[in-house]
Amino acid sequence: MFAAAMAGILATMLMALARASKGPTVFDRILAMNMFGTQTVLVIAVSGFMSGRPEWLDLAIVYGLVNFIGTIAVLKFAKFGNLADDGRRAGS
Amino acid sequence: MPSIPVELPIFILHLLTALLIARLRGLFSAAMLTGIFSLLSCCLFTLMDAVDVAFTEAAVGAGISTVLILGTLALTDREERQRPARALPFVVVIVTGAALIYGTFDMPPFGAADAPIHMHPVVQTFVHGAEHDFHIPNIVTVILASYRGYDTLGETAVIFTAGVGVLLLLVEGKRAGDPPSEPDHGSDGSDVPRDEAA
Amino acid sequence: MSPVDIATLVLLVSGAAFCVVGGVGVLRMPDFYTRTHAASIPDTLGAGLILVGLMLQGGGWIVTVKLVFVLALLLLTGPTASHALVKAAHASGLAWKGEDDTHHTPLQTVKVGGDDAVDPG
Repeated sequence: MFAAAMAGILATMLMALARASKGPTVFDRILAMNMFGTQTVLVIAVSGFMSGRPEWLDLAIVYGLVNFIGTIAVLKFAKFGNLADDGRRAGS
Repeated sequence: MPSIPVELPIFILHLLTALLIARLRGLFSAAMLTGIFSLLSCCLFTLMDAVDVAFTEAAVGAGISTVLILGTLALTDREERQRPARALPFVVVIVTGAALIYGTFDMPPFGAADAPIHMHPVVQTFVHGAEHDFHIPNIVTVILASYRGYDTLGETAVIFTAGVGVLLLLVEGKRAGDPPSEPDHGSDGSDVPRDEAA
Repeated sequence: MSPVDIATLVLLVSGAAFCVVGGVGVLRMPDFYTRTHAASIPDTLGAGLILVGLMLQGGGWIVTVKLVFVLALLLLTGPTASHALVKAAHASGLAWKGEDDTHHTPLQTVKVGGDDAVDPG
């Protein structure tokens, strides 16, 4: 029962990796990385239950947060060209 | 302990990601694929029961490492220069990898009770000291906090740099309106980086 | 198997199926904006079903609370990240397929797209 879920999640990871390699624009790759992060959270949760150690869910929480921060960092870089700009222009 | 079939697909994904990172010439995409690589490493560390290492890998690999690579990309080219393919680095890498894999055949099985590290007399010192000197039932805590305290100091420093990386993202830095530090792009005057050209 | 196990099995398998559906959609959709629709399916529905299925497994109330946290985190950060992604793509002028040039004026005329040159050697 956990093995079926794990197989589905790993297949989705493989497809996200395929999109990250194929994606013509950079935004496709950011999308694939974000999806990959969510699948990692699910892998950690399901494998924690598989091995009888649900306390690995702490790691899943941390990873969900870090994945979000990483995606926003990448988007900020793609939009502004550097990581310090916050979008306010002079005179606005 | 989880069985082999879960770790094997993750290793295969590792291999695929590494091949893709080596082949892509757009550095932005390669930076993001290194994020995916560290995600897979985090899964693998969790499956091997090293949850503290997985925590560190999550914070450092997907957080600060991606941020630092992107910050470096702001100062350099967006695409890797085409270099002629040479055979010598390839041979050196293959030989080194083969030597390392050959060295792992000497290691004891994962978690074996008669591994040399469990037979050393210092183990009895730790167990005895945890019970009589510290009176703390969790021996791992005693080792991490007292006997190997410097290691914990280093790990805390690593997590601190991860937090600094997040703060870099959230705190405004340059004044808005400053010219961005792009080296050679931006001939049309925009300051949004173009995607990697074909 | 007890009814709780059967319910967990149904939820886990359907969650994994939705994840796979989302993955196939991300691979086969023709355009970036349609791919974001496909990518939101495993993030919300797939993850939601799997985590609710795990909640039925027990392990104490603290495990259930942590699962609720993970689910709430995914449901909060997933749509936010998707929205930020699509907004950034639109602001950089990424056009969608079948779009007429007359009624879409990108904010900056920056050319985005084109294949990454894979090392031919």
